[in-house]
Parts: sequence; structure tokens; C-alpha cells
Amino acid sequence: MKQNKVLNFLLNNMVPIMFIIICAVLIPLSGFSAGYLLNEIITRMGRNTFLVLCLLFPIMSGMGLNFGMTLGAMAAEIAIIFVADWQIWGLPGIVLAVILSLPISVALGWLCGTIMNMAIGREMITGYIMNFFIGGWYQLVVLFMMGPIIPIVHSSIKLPRGYGIRNTVSLLNMRQTLDDLLAIRIGGIKIPVLTFLLIGLLCLFIVWFRRTKLGQDMRAVGQDMNVARDAGIKVERTRIISIIMSTVFAGFGMVIYLQNMGNLPTYTAHSQIGMFCIAALLVGGASVEKASISNAFLGVTLFHLMFIVAPAAGTEIIGDSMIGEYFRVFASYGVITLALIMYEMKKRRSKGQAGQMLAQAQREEEAS
Amino acid sequence: MKSKRRVLICLLSVAVLAAIAAVMMIIGRGHTIYVDNRSVDYNGQTYEAPYKVTVYVKDEQIAKLYDKERGMSTWIGQNFQMTLEVMEKKGGDEVLQTIQLKLPYDMDGIIVNLPAVLAGLPEEAWLTEFIPAPVVEEDDGEIPGESDEFGLEGDMGDDMGLGGDI
Repeated sequence: MKQNKVLNFLLNNMVPIMFIIICAVLIPLSGFSAGYLLNEIITRMGRNTFLVLCLLFPIMSGMGLNFGMTLGAMAAEIAIIFVADWQIWGLPGIVLAVILSLPISVALGWLCGTIMNMAIGREMITGYIMNFFIGGWYQLVVLFMMGPIIPIVHSSIKLPRGYGIRNTVSLLNMRQTLDDLLAIRIGGIKIPVLTFLLIGLLCLFIVWFRRTKLGQDMRAVGQDMNVARDAGIKVERTRIISIIMSTVFAGFGMVIYLQNMGNLPTYTAHSQIGMFCIAALLVGGASVEKASISNAFLGVTLFHLMFIVAPAAGTEIIGDSMIGEYFRVFASYGVITLALIMYEMKKRRSKGQAGQMLAQAQREEEAS
Repeated sequence: MKSKRRVLICLLSVAVLAAIAAVMMIIGRGHTIYVDNRSVDYNGQTYEAPYKVTVYVKDEQIAKLYDKERGMSTWIGQNFQMTLEVMEKKGGDEVLQTIQLKLPYDMDGIIVNLPAVLAGLPEEAWLTEFIPAPVVEEDDGEIPGESDEFGLEGDMGDDMGLGGDI
């Protein structure tokens, strides 16, 4: 019995345990000091945690890992381009970008949710393909419509040909504004208090939201859609709202991410963000059907710890930092694959168990 | 009744957000200020540049300007304030002056002529728009999405677009 419990614990937490072991091996090899690692981890937590937390809403409503969060990132990027062109700097620029991203995120979230409702049971692949679909539209808007149709004044962000946005837009005038405001330094380690406050507020919102009527509805829909429908819950509407919320918060998260980076890689910033946030959440011990705030924090810490130490450890082991790069790419895609396989296995196992129980009940009924 | 209230709340939220956005657009407008210490002619009169002007913006020294020199600073908002430490003649006393200027919203780069400001001349005398010299840029041929019809390069290539900055 006790052995079973230990085995179950190991199986349920296989991914975080694996990453803890990997990090424990790589940290001494990398040669980085504890102070450096802590500084890097805190910076990356401030940069990424908000984005990772936005994935919790669709998981709550049983829609799995929202690969469509990239849509929110695109909305934020469009907003940031406008803010950069209008020369709104500092904190007002960040607030304006957040407000501007809101309607675009809501519209894209609604579109994504509606399409996902047409593909019930295949939400993750639908979300993934939606990335490419909306990504094409994003390119059309940013590359061809910005300039001739949508007014863009500053030549510094326009392509030399006179229309379209450059590959990189400088956000120097809002770089780390949020992180530096109220920041404190403890032993040389910078703690971006305001950014963490915002992350804390989102965590509180998630905790509160789970207890609201809508939050309960989402959980009910996530557990069993048919039962939820019978209970009078508007299933489709609830699912759309969860995707809209995820997209909107992804937009906010992307603004936080970009202000920390200080530049906008116009055509690539959003492309990998969904994948890495999902990988980080899974590394924290989340699954396709269950995720918590603690999974997000643990995941960001472990995933980014590996990101920091892997190249240096690779250099130390075989004299080539690229091995670390390959390793972290392999690990991030591998962990997503592993999570999907485990989810499918669990689903089949529980289906099989339910079948067996039904057969047993029938046999007992026949015998009596 | 309930739906009416819901619509009202939605409209109110949109109005509040629009108002906040408008305020942000006004208070967050950034300008690059160039301060020039060079003689200026206005209404047939020449206003000579002081020997040395030290310029402070937000308690930070941004420039120490002698004749015909230029300093630069950035400012968010339209109410620009700077402190000048003016030495009229070499070896003379330094006089401290706090200057407040109203900046035009629609200008990115603004040249402020210090002798004109110190003489208390009107805006047309001390303000000029900074227009950067046109840079002839060659198209670098790196227009996204043109070399690969699916726009895959970098995203799904060997480096996976990681670049260590995630």
C-alpha cells in the first residue's frame, strides 16, 4: 500500500522530479554562482510567470493547454507597435499598450473560442493551428497594412521600403519601466516588486475567480460537459469566456514580457511564447487537465533554471555551448510530448477501468 | 432590466478605459530635448551665448555647454523643467535658474535655444523642431515571410528561435 503511494507520487510528479535532477546535475557543472542564478531566475520569473498563469483558465474549463494564447501575444504586439509609433514612453506607454491590446485580445479570444467549440475534444491542435492562421493575418496587417492603410508615422519603425514594420522595434523608452519602479536590491539581487505585485494580483484573481459562479461553471464544464449542460450551464459560452480570459491575460503578460526585454522582435516574438509557457507549466507538474498556481511558479523556476545552466554546462562537458541549446530545445518539446502521451494513457486507462466496472456490474446483476 | 444594467456597465467600463488611455497619451508623450548654447538673432537683436551653462534635468547633470555646444535629454509629458547653472563670463559667478517650458505635443525632437530662454523671449525664438537628416537605407532584403512561403525559417529551424532571451 505504502509502496503504491510512493509509486503513484513518483508517477504523478515524474516531470518536475526529472527536471530537479537535471538542474541538480547541471548547476555545479555550469559554474555559476548562487547570486547570479538567483538574479537570473527572479528576472525570468518576473518576465514569464504572468504569461504562464494565463494558461490556467482553459485547463479549468477542460480545454487543455491553450496553444492559442499566442493570439493574445499578437494583440499585445500590435498595441506596442502603436504605442512606439505614438511615442508614448514609460509607465503610461505600458498602461496604454495594455488598454489597446484589450479589444484585440477579446476579439481574437472570441474567434478562437468559437472555433474551438466547433472542434470539441481537439482544442489543443485547433489552438495550435489557429496560431498559424492568425499569424498569417498578423503578418498581413503588420507587413502590408501598417503604413499605407494604418497610419504609421515614424520611419524608425517602418521598413526602408516605406511600409510595413521593421524586424525589430526598439522599446528603449519603456524598457524595464515596470521592473524598475519600486524595485529593491537585496545583496546585489534586483527584485522587481511591482511586476511581482501584478503577478500576485493575478494569482489572487485566479483564487477568487475559482469560487465565483463562473469559475464553478468552468470547473463543472471541465469535469463533464454533458452533466454541466444538464445542470443548466451554458457550456459553449463558458468555454468561450475561458479562452477570452486566457487571451486577454496573455496580452497583458506579453506587454510585461516585452517591456522587460526592451525590444520587440516583430515577427518572431509571439511564435515561441505559447510553446515555452506550456512547457514551463508542464515542467511544474501540471497536466492537460489539472494545473495550479504552484505548478506555474515551480515550472517557471525549473524550466528557466535549466535554460540558464544548460549552455554553460554544455560548454563545460564537451566544450560547445550549442549542446546545451539543443538540450533545452529537446527538453521543452519532449516535456510537452510526454504530457500529451501521459494524458492519453490516463484517459484510456480510466476508460478501460470504467468499462471493466460496467461489465462487473452487469455480471453481478445477471448473477442475482 | 438586468441586461440593460449589463450594457450600461459595459459602456461605462469602455468609457473609463478610453479616458485612462486618453490621459496616458497626454502624460506619456515622450520628447527628445536638445539644448543649444548658441547666440540667437531675434527682432534684429543678438542674444549672446553665455560662457558656460550646466544643465540639470531631474537633478541629473545632462550637459555642460560652452559656446555653440549642444546637449540632449529625454522628457515625458509637456511640462519640461530644467535647472541651469549659468556662468556669463569666464571666471564669473554661477547663477542658478529653474526654467519651465511648455512643449508642443506633436514634436518628437525639440531644439531649445538657451540664450533665448534666458532672455525670456517668446516660444518662436527658443523653439525649433529637430528634424533628423534623412538616412538613405538600402533595403536589406530581410522582409519577413518573403524567403519562405510558410514563414517557417527561424521558428522551426535548428536554433528554434531561442537565442537565449526567453
